[in-house]
Amino acid sequence: MREAAIIANVKIAVVDEDVIVRNFIVSTLMYSVNREILTFDDGFDAWVYFEESGFPDMVMADVNLQEIDGLALTSKVKKASPGTVVVLFSDLPGNETKARKQGSDAFLAKPFGVNELFNLVQTFVVEQDPADDPSTPP
Amino acid sequence: MVDVKSVADLTRKTVRPPKDTLLKKREVFEMLRLGSKPENMREMELDDVFISRLQLLVIMTKSYLNKYPLGSYRERSILENAEFVKVDAEELAEDIVFFGWDENAQNGLNFEPVFYQRVKLLAVMAEAFAKGHSLEAHKQEALEKNLNTICEAITFSKTISDMQFLKVA
Repeated sequence: MREAAIIANVKIAVVDEDVIVRNFIVSTLMYSVNREILTFDDGFDAWVYFEESGFPDMVMADVNLQEIDGLALTSKVKKASPGTVVVLFSDLPGNETKARKQGSDAFLAKPFGVNELFNLVQTFVVEQDPADDPSTPP
Repeated sequence: MVDVKSVADLTRKTVRPPKDTLLKKREVFEMLRLGSKPENMREMELDDVFISRLQLLVIMTKSYLNKYPLGSYRERSILENAEFVKVDAEELAEDIVFFGWDENAQNGLNFEPVFYQRVKLLAVMAEAFAKGHSLEAHKQEALEKNLNTICEAITFSKTISDMQFLKVA
């Protein structure tokens, strides 16, 4: 198996008003990618920052947020920066369909753990080897 | 009489779809779903976060023992995580002193009191290697022994070798 390569200077933002869950996500992602992780406790602050400072490579947001909720944030981010990966998380099963409709790339159902966060890093942050893509001719 | 043309069409549709159909299928948006099953979904509690952070600390320690590279942010996240786990383990151990330990209790984490002492020791050793203190052979051996005992109490669905990105910093 080849060694993984993390996307250079990857920028990840975590948006969640629950500081305990947010800090856990940040610790896991910071360790995984060895980079600073942007943190916001509401959707409005995150959106203002993205508009002013540029969009990150990946946004992880709780559906339940003040002012701009996770669903609205997904829609806005995908419209302004289609290349940004958006991952929504929630404790309500009904939000899964809503997340899909807004164009979320992944849905994380609470409670989740380290394995799920590593899975996200492996899927969206590790550069894919073209040899692994079945559509690439040998 | 068999209509050869319609059989050919049928075969193409069911067995070998045209190339453009395959391409379109690959482009169809599929959202990745991870985490709890819908029937088990609920808000995350402190116990969930404690166990997840402890699993993360185990992975951090195993990565260190495997000589995977550290970096400044990795060191910071180890220190933050170790501090959280240490404080939480102390509080959970105090709860046992205060409320007593019921071996048969079904609620809460309900680990043996000595488990939390082992977790505290793991956190202290993790802080040491994250600060750049090298652990002598006998300390590494003790660390591994402690780690294995903790791992017996908590479960993982992946091994460290599955996480290739930990081998780069």
